[in-house]
Amino acid sequence: MNSFHPGESSSHPFVEPTPLPASIPKVNEVGATSAPLKSAAFFIGAYCKEFNEDFMLCKAENRDPAHCLKEGRRVTRCATDLISKMRENCLQQFEAHWNCLEVNNQDYAPCRKPERALNKCMFEKLGLTKTIPGTAPGQTPIHEVENPLFGRMQK
Amino acid sequence: MPVPWEALIPFGLVTAMFGAAGTLLNPPRYHIDSWEEMMMDRDQRLTGHARKQTSNPIAPEGFETNSVWYAERTQ
Repeated sequence: MNSFHPGESSSHPFVEPTPLPASIPKVNEVGATSAPLKSAAFFIGAYCKEFNEDFMLCKAENRDPAHCLKEGRRVTRCATDLISKMRENCLQQFEAHWNCLEVNNQDYAPCRKPERALNKCMFEKLGLTKTIPGTAPGQTPIHEVENPLFGRMQK
Repeated sequence: MPVPWEALIPFGLVTAMFGAAGTLLNPPRYHIDSWEEMMMDRDQRLTGHARKQTSNPIAPEGFETNSVWYAERTQ
C-alpha cells in the first residue's frame, strides 16, 4: 500500500457504449465539424445569445455536468437550428468560407473575401451580423478593415 | 553555343512539386493547442478522419457514445 505503481496506458482505450437514461430528453448532437463551426461561430453567438449566456451562468454556479443538462440541450438545439438555416439560405458562401478556412490552418485572416460574401448573405437572408465583442468604440473591427497589415503566410 | 536546357529540367520539376504540395494537397495544421486537438479528435469521431470536414447539422447515430476515455491501468 506504500509502494509506487507506475500507470500504464491501456491498449484498448475505454469507450462507454451505454446511452443516457430514458428519463433525460434526447437531443440530436451538432454534426458540423470544426471548420464549419468556426465559420458559423459569430452567427451562433448572435442567434443563440440568450441560451449561451444562460448556460454559461449555470456552469458558473456549479461545474457538475448533471446540473446544466437542460440549458445544454437548449444550446445544442439552437446551434443545430442555426446551422440548418445557414445551409438552407447561404449554402454556397458558407461552403466557400469554411473550405477556405480549412486550407489556411483555420485562421480568419486569409479568408476575408469569402467571409464578406457570407456576412452579406447572412445579413440579407437571416438578419444576423458578425460583431466582435470587446471592440473599442472608435475602432474598426478587424473583419471590416479594408487593407490589413498582415496577410496570409507564404505557401 | 547551344544552351544546356536539359539541365534546367530538375529545377522546373522541383518548383512544380513545391507548388503542388503547397496548393493542391491540404496544408498541415500548425500551432495546434489543446482546444484544436480536442476539436480534431471530435472531427475524427464525426467523420472518421481528423481533417475531413462536414457541415451536417445533425450528428450521425453513434456519436453520442463513441467518445474515448483515456484511462490508465494502475494495480
